Amino acid sequence: MSNHLENSDGGPLPANAGIGLRAPHHLHVLSESPDVSWFEAHSENYFAEGGSHVECLSRIRARYRLSLHGVGLSLGSIDPLNREHLGNLRRVIARFEPTLVSEHLSWSSVGGQFANDLLPLPYTEEALRHVGSRIAQVQDALGRQILLENVSSYMQFSASTMTEWEFVAGVAAESGCGILLDLNNVYVAAHNHEFDSHHYLEGIPRHIVQEFHLAGFSRIDLDGRDLLIDTHGTPVCDAVWDLYRAALRRFGNVPTLIEWDTNLPSFDVLQAQARKADSLRSALRALAA
Amino acid sequence: MPSLRELQVHVMDALLGAGLPRATALIAGSPTEAERRFGVYANTVQGNFRDALHSTYPAVRRLVGDDYFRQTAREFQRRHPSRSGDLVHCGQGFSDYLAQLHPDDGFTYLADVARLEWLIQESLLAAEHASLDLESLARVPPAAYDGLRFELHPALRLFESRYPALAIWEVNVGSDAEPPTLDLRSGADLIAIMRQRLQLQFHRLSAGEHCFLRAFEQGECFSAAVDCGGEADAAFAASAALQRFVAAGAVVAFTSTVKT
Repeated sequence: MSNHLENSDGGPLPANAGIGLRAPHHLHVLSESPDVSWFEAHSENYFAEGGSHVECLSRIRARYRLSLHGVGLSLGSIDPLNREHLGNLRRVIARFEPTLVSEHLSWSSVGGQFANDLLPLPYTEEALRHVGSRIAQVQDALGRQILLENVSSYMQFSASTMTEWEFVAGVAAESGCGILLDLNNVYVAAHNHEFDSHHYLEGIPRHIVQEFHLAGFSRIDLDGRDLLIDTHGTPVCDAVWDLYRAALRRFGNVPTLIEWDTNLPSFDVLQAQARKADSLRSALRALAA
Repeated sequence: MPSLRELQVHVMDALLGAGLPRATALIAGSPTEAERRFGVYANTVQGNFRDALHSTYPAVRRLVGDDYFRQTAREFQRRHPSRSGDLVHCGQGFSDYLAQLHPDDGFTYLADVARLEWLIQESLLAAEHASLDLESLARVPPAAYDGLRFELHPALRLFESRYPALAIWEVNVGSDAEPPTLDLRSGADLIAIMRQRLQLQFHRLSAGEHCFLRAFEQGECFSAAVDCGGEADAAFAASAALQRFVAAGAVVAFTSTVKT
């Protein structure tokens, strides 16, 4: 019996890489009990009172550790915090008892209208104070710390007065949240906005990063130059694996997640990506020893 | 410098199709470049909404085809943008919207198929409930029957249509084969949509049964529900109907004003 079955409660997430759980893989996970350290699920996909998704996640949770990752709280919005959404989030946390709860450092609604996409904020003092206080409100309501993920972006606002990494570090300092550092998003944003992804890592304080995300992107042509799009539809690229090595050196043994959303492949492809992350981490530890 | 509120309002307006220049003026780079970069978001916002609508309304999409569905989803999103951070709700009101688009042409049935698909989604996401406690029902004194209020399963939804909407739905989901031609005059639907554990079920109802369950849904007591059933259908037999719905798990609880 693999050790994840004995590991379903208590303590931090295991060091071995977890996998983003997607509904087409539910039955495979339930029938095969694959050797995976932990899963991360999108909170909103399990907001329903009942039905097959909720039933599957309950059964998967009985065997594996879990992180819940939200996409819909719209933390950066100037609208009042959506109490119904927050109530649903509180309910899924009580139901599935995740080790980590995370959301995105972005906004997706205003005036009660939702774009249902992760829109970047302007990196200003006003936005920093606003989103920082909203995160603090959510942490108070949930009675726990949450992690905020840096988003990939394709545009920047002229109003920004600081770099993205200054903003991310500032939000963590303002609210006391942890950071979920998505290394693919750092790479995509660095390419799209022409900054050095390693400067980004150096700008994030060591102690605040509590999870890494790894995923793949695609490219589109923007008037003769590439724009990278965070599609989560391809394997992690070599440059992002390099950035992962740098992140492991800087931030240490942080739980790492493999994400894949579009063109979802068979489950073993995701497991192979997780094993690759594990082998990179082991190699670095061996070097350091 | 725009306030955070101004920035968000301009960006949202443009994402929903109004006032693009006010949004692109906020974005770093030349106007052309800003527009191209903004376009990435606009495409995603439309695509996410359309995909969610498709996942709620697979039969409607099959019936109208990809191009018309894409165009209709776009227009529906402009007029009725998502009001929730959970896209599963974005299709609320799509049936009414289709009814306005097709008030009196050959496609009036589309709104009914959409309403059926919305109710199916609600049923699929509803809570579980244990079946009725028959022993406690047996302890109710006969004199108290009339005042009982029966509760329906949280996943039960009542559906009616003057078209054979369920048959249209069934031939348009689940298979890529060309669906057979159906005669729109081949029957009207009175249906209880149910979910037992994870299994979707459809129970065809008589007019009396439909009114009987509708009365329960509206919180009427047993005697009022029996009257509703009898008014709709002279042959309605209340005790047989109640037995049927308890056995099917459609009626799951009751409250009595008399202590049992």
